[in-house]
Amino acid sequence: MKIATMKTPEQVTIPLQQHAGEVCNPVVCVGDIVSVGQLIGDGTSMIHSSVSGEVTAISELPHPAGKNVLSVVIKTHDGEKKDFKPADLSASKMSRIVRDAGIVEPNGLPTVYKKADIDTIIINGTNTGDLSSNAALMLNHPSEIVDGLRALIKSSGAKKAIIVIELDSEALHVMRTETIPDSDIKIVATPTYYPAGTENTLAKKFARKKVPRGSTPEDRGVLISSIASMKALYDVVHDGMPMIKKTITVTGAVRSPGNVLANIGTPIKHVIDACGGCSGTPVKIVMNGAISGVAQYSDEVPVIKTTTGILVQTESDINREPPAPCINCAWCVDECPIGLMPHLLYGYADSAQFDKCAELYIGDCVECGMCAYVCPSKLPLVQIIRYGKHGVAEMEMEIETGEVEA
Amino acid sequence: MTYTISPLPHVKSRESVKSVMWGTVAALIPVSIAAVYLFGFPAIKVILATVIAAVVTEIIIYKAASQPITIGDGNAVLIGLLLALLMPPSVPIWVPIIGAVFAIAVAKYIFGGTGTLIFHPALIGFAFLLAAWPTLMGAQSTPNLSSFSDLLIETGAGRLVEASPALVLLGGAFVLYKRYVDRRVAISATILLMLLVLISGKGWQLPYVLTGGYFLGLLFLAADPITSPVTKKGRLVYGIVLALLILIQLHFDAYFTGMCFAVLLMNVFSPFIDRNTIPKPIGGK
Repeated sequence: MKIATMKTPEQVTIPLQQHAGEVCNPVVCVGDIVSVGQLIGDGTSMIHSSVSGEVTAISELPHPAGKNVLSVVIKTHDGEKKDFKPADLSASKMSRIVRDAGIVEPNGLPTVYKKADIDTIIINGTNTGDLSSNAALMLNHPSEIVDGLRALIKSSGAKKAIIVIELDSEALHVMRTETIPDSDIKIVATPTYYPAGTENTLAKKFARKKVPRGSTPEDRGVLISSIASMKALYDVVHDGMPMIKKTITVTGAVRSPGNVLANIGTPIKHVIDACGGCSGTPVKIVMNGAISGVAQYSDEVPVIKTTTGILVQTESDINREPPAPCINCAWCVDECPIGLMPHLLYGYADSAQFDKCAELYIGDCVECGMCAYVCPSKLPLVQIIRYGKHGVAEMEMEIETGEVEA
Repeated sequence: MTYTISPLPHVKSRESVKSVMWGTVAALIPVSIAAVYLFGFPAIKVILATVIAAVVTEIIIYKAASQPITIGDGNAVLIGLLLALLMPPSVPIWVPIIGAVFAIAVAKYIFGGTGTLIFHPALIGFAFLLAAWPTLMGAQSTPNLSSFSDLLIETGAGRLVEASPALVLLGGAFVLYKRYVDRRVAISATILLMLLVLISGKGWQLPYVLTGGYFLGLLFLAADPITSPVTKKGRLVYGIVLALLILIQLHFDAYFTGMCFAVLLMNVFSPFIDRNTIPKPIGGK
């Protein structure tokens, strides 16, 4: 499994919000000359330029999340100028290194952000559905990933680390060989399951720590991170390179699907062209996986730090069947990783009975999309459950402010 | 270029209501063929008349109510076929036709159609006919498993479905594998019933339970997704209580009809079981 490298695009659009939190403040002005790795956005998680060039605009531009976000547009110059200095692990705290290098997990949170006594680190090396970037990274950079993990173990004081890999993954053997000298790193093979990214489920399954509702795995001493973050950590500790590149999986109706290393800010159109362009007429472009990804309005949106994949769909890939009534088949109940009752939430949210939604723990839904995937009636479960969550939040606001008698 | 936007998921499984219903119909085809083989022309007559009556009734009612006609989803065909299989071959042709009309018009349409109905329409049709014309609905013989060949073709069959226990099981295995019926209800009820019959000192009744009628009742009628509970725990409770109810019916020597009424009685409790077995989400206390 190769990771293809891409030609540096002529222009990159780097949104100043690529993490869960406030939009960063730009620290460059239009007309500034920037080099690779130079800080351009300052905030809860730093943002750096991924190319050398000239800032041509700072304005609100389309973002993969579907809204417009303040972004820095940089026109690439020939010849890379680098602005790296390796981070000194002994001098500064890991949370500071992570913040300064702008390392964020696929869910948008920084890898280390909380003060907590970490006992176990779980690295999620599973690949969700059509995405294979984790496997590709492990096959191509096994020693870097393990080095990054070693740095994380050292700084966090964790007693052990677990790397979770699918049973049938080629990376299993490679990673086992790589971690032979480390007695505190364990490779755990798991049958493929979905959704593999739910943190509390991971903590329960692999660290045997039950995480109560409303708390995070960190509260129970479990730190959950990803393969991509370990690689990014290695890059910053070893080379001083902040998070400016991301390995993403391009699949679907493209001529040569596979994994590519893209600069942050590269328009997805450019990434698709680098994979041979679309085969057939593209009708839908999905970022981050076929089941739980986000459909894109435009192919001009950039690759950001939380991007894991791009899927191009043609008309024949899209199911436009109108929804039929629920037949109580309970497939959604069987699939829900959280143990909710998706079809009841759908029914109550659809009829605006938000108090009933709250009673059925609608807020615990992680929107993995599995219920709507299996539904034989093709009900838009996730969409209506999101509406229900919004309704519950509004209802609670009203009760709090006393507008309505509770 | 404009792209299609939709909430997640961006791929959906191939299974649909259509595939669930037609798949269940397909699973019942082998036993229907066995019934035709055993009973000959009367079986064909009953099956065709019931299915056609169910389909025509649905078309007329939904058209009269100016609602979209959903014949294509196969639900009416399934109800008709299930009802036909519950008939004795000797029944006059107008009896199952009236049963099919009643099943669709009352049990399905009045209760809100596919998804919201409380009682299994085929069982309601059967219960209605049994109450109205008990003599016409009576089976000529009560099957029991006396030799190995009875598993394949039951010569003592009194109703169409009893023609072949093995073929009902085969269809049952298919729908269980495909999850077209509820696995938890079907498996818990079937295994528990067999065990209860064996250990309750009524072991001599076991051959009466290993018949096509019971397998159809447990695997297709009781485990029907629409009328059975949805919670994981609730489905087990449903199967267990159903097995107990059937055992009580057996105690009074009520075989096939007893089972049908046990399933109908359980249908009533399905929402109640659901309400009391709502699970706590992961990490909840």
